Amino acid sequence: MTPVMFAQLAVSGALMGFVYALVAYGFQLTYATSRTINFGQGELVMVSAFCSLSLTNAGLPYWLMVPGGLLIGALLGLFVERAGVRLALEQKSEGWILLSIIIGLFFFSASENIWGRDDRPFPTPIPSAAVQVLGVSVTPYEISVAIGVLAIMGLIELFRRGTLLGKAFEAVSVDRDAAELMGISATRTVMLSYGLSGLSAAVAGILVSPITTVGPTMGSALVLKAFAVAVVAGLDSGFGVVVVGLLLGALESLTSFFIGSGWREAPGLVLLILALAVRPTGIFGKSVIRKV
Amino acid sequence: MKKAILISLMSILIAAGVAAADSIKIAITGPFSGGSAPMGVSMRDGAKLAIAEINGAGGVQVGDRKIKFEIIERDDEAKNERGALIAQELASMSDLSGVIGTVNTGVALAGDRYLQEKGVTKIITPAAGSATMTQWVTAGVTDLSMFRFAAPDGIQSAMVVEEAINRNLTKVAIIHDSTNYGVSGRDDLLNQIKAQGSKLQVVAVEKFNIGDKDMTAQLVRAKSAGAQAILIWGIGPELAAVANGMAKLGMKEPLIGGWTLSMSNFLDNAGASGDGTLMPQTFIEEPITPRARKFIEAYHAAYNVPRIPSPVSAAQGYDAVLLFAAAVKQAGSTDTRKIKEALEDLKDPVHGVIATWQKPFNKWDPANELTHEAFHRAQVVMGMVKGGRVVFGNDADRQRLMKEGQ
Repeated sequence: MTPVMFAQLAVSGALMGFVYALVAYGFQLTYATSRTINFGQGELVMVSAFCSLSLTNAGLPYWLMVPGGLLIGALLGLFVERAGVRLALEQKSEGWILLSIIIGLFFFSASENIWGRDDRPFPTPIPSAAVQVLGVSVTPYEISVAIGVLAIMGLIELFRRGTLLGKAFEAVSVDRDAAELMGISATRTVMLSYGLSGLSAAVAGILVSPITTVGPTMGSALVLKAFAVAVVAGLDSGFGVVVVGLLLGALESLTSFFIGSGWREAPGLVLLILALAVRPTGIFGKSVIRKV
Repeated sequence: MKKAILISLMSILIAAGVAAADSIKIAITGPFSGGSAPMGVSMRDGAKLAIAEINGAGGVQVGDRKIKFEIIERDDEAKNERGALIAQELASMSDLSGVIGTVNTGVALAGDRYLQEKGVTKIITPAAGSATMTQWVTAGVTDLSMFRFAAPDGIQSAMVVEEAINRNLTKVAIIHDSTNYGVSGRDDLLNQIKAQGSKLQVVAVEKFNIGDKDMTAQLVRAKSAGAQAILIWGIGPELAAVANGMAKLGMKEPLIGGWTLSMSNFLDNAGASGDGTLMPQTFIEEPITPRARKFIEAYHAAYNVPRIPSPVSAAQGYDAVLLFAAAVKQAGSTDTRKIKEALEDLKDPVHGVIATWQKPFNKWDPANELTHEAFHRAQVVMGMVKGGRVVFGNDADRQRLMKEGQ
């Protein structure tokens, strides 16, 4: 085991970790405004990827397909909010958990029927021929995944911190009723957060598909790990997910090397259990003080 | 009054029984969706092409009349439990003449015993796992209704090991998937390396699961152990992940493995990374003989594709139907047991697209599964991926087949 090999494994895994982080970030966006998360987030990733593939097959060049795919992702996010989450929130029930799972299942069945059950290649103009960085092979494509994830997260964070609409996010997040009294529409803000969450799912789908291929089951594999990342990092820590995502990705790769490829999925679950047992608010989460 | 009803009911039943013999009921089963679908769909479509040709000519001559084929299709989704359910359903049909299909070794292992219990004749194609047939030897079955029409993994692994030795390699890594197919492939490879004089040193044995996309860990292990070639047993999408991983790590070692390396979902997902990959093939989509040309053109036209998703499966599905039809004709019956006896002793040569089949099967010998295996070393060639298609890996094979096909 040379240091270079170790680095190779860690880097390869960590690059996948960026995608976990982005999906986990989608959870955080909606949690911030409405204390809800979309359990069908993986299916949004998958459906956006399939729609983007269809756009490509329809003859759209890559750089036009991307905004199209993002728009579809945002619309899907809004659909989840309108058809599931809002109904439950209006009744102050926890029904959004089941509703978001059901909508996810519906997306899954629909895409099996529309696009079939096969894994399909996803074309990209970015070359996949590897380059050597300090002895570690990475493909330009993998680097573009890292850049893409950080860019979209950075943009959304800038929007949240720097614009008035973004401030509304924070306000609703801190106190929904007080925000309403200040003239901020909580419903609109929740809608916006679901739209952004869907958008980030679409980015994840478009970025990860050339590596993993597109298939109906691609979402379910991602979402479990993203969930672990979100919980371990804490549901309200913006860039904590990136750190934990990278860590989990690298850990998976190293586990399958040192312990055996059958144990690949283990680190995510172990981390999840540990976090829930030891620090339920997450490593980077703030502990919540509830005044009754 | 009651008697009259009873009599009329019985006459309906008898009439129904007679009506059933108006067609040769044949079931085609396989995965028509999922990662194995290119094989299942091609096998089905190849078989249907042969059936359409036979039905178009009026059907099979049975005694003094011609009978057409009637197809029952079942998608097992490459899932063992689905395969077992389908086999039970088919075994319960009293007027079924036979079954053609099964792609996945695990599905064959889960379902075939139900068909065997009822004595339903089945031609297994293109499942290649050794256990598919050796299970009957282990069980000591004396009268077997299962026939295999695919290059068994025993032959394929022998060719893979041979190829590595011919290239003067000494160190190899074995990578396989964790299904029945992959595990039995690994065992075949290890046995073959021993059988061929232990000239290859196995420096790493690694596995992966269905759905895995990141093969870095397995490949880094193989690379750091000094492997000069990767011998591999798995199916399309994961094989592509291995080829892409090798390209990423800059591994130029040859990738040699089972015939599944010719599946369209390997070729498409691996792209340029797949070039140079070697695998045993029973049929190569090159119109080198008149019969091959006719078949390839008919397939492209019938299903409107520029390339057969899995040419091996399609050709085997096609030839399997021809053999089955020849057996029906010789038996002079649609009874599945009589068809089995005819298959064990086919008198006339069958002109297939892969080869001209002279008595492909023999009477079942409980000690030797080769009696129900149609393919031998001579009918299998090495294929190589080149520009997203599979071509002959060895020009001598091409020349030989061209000569034989004249």
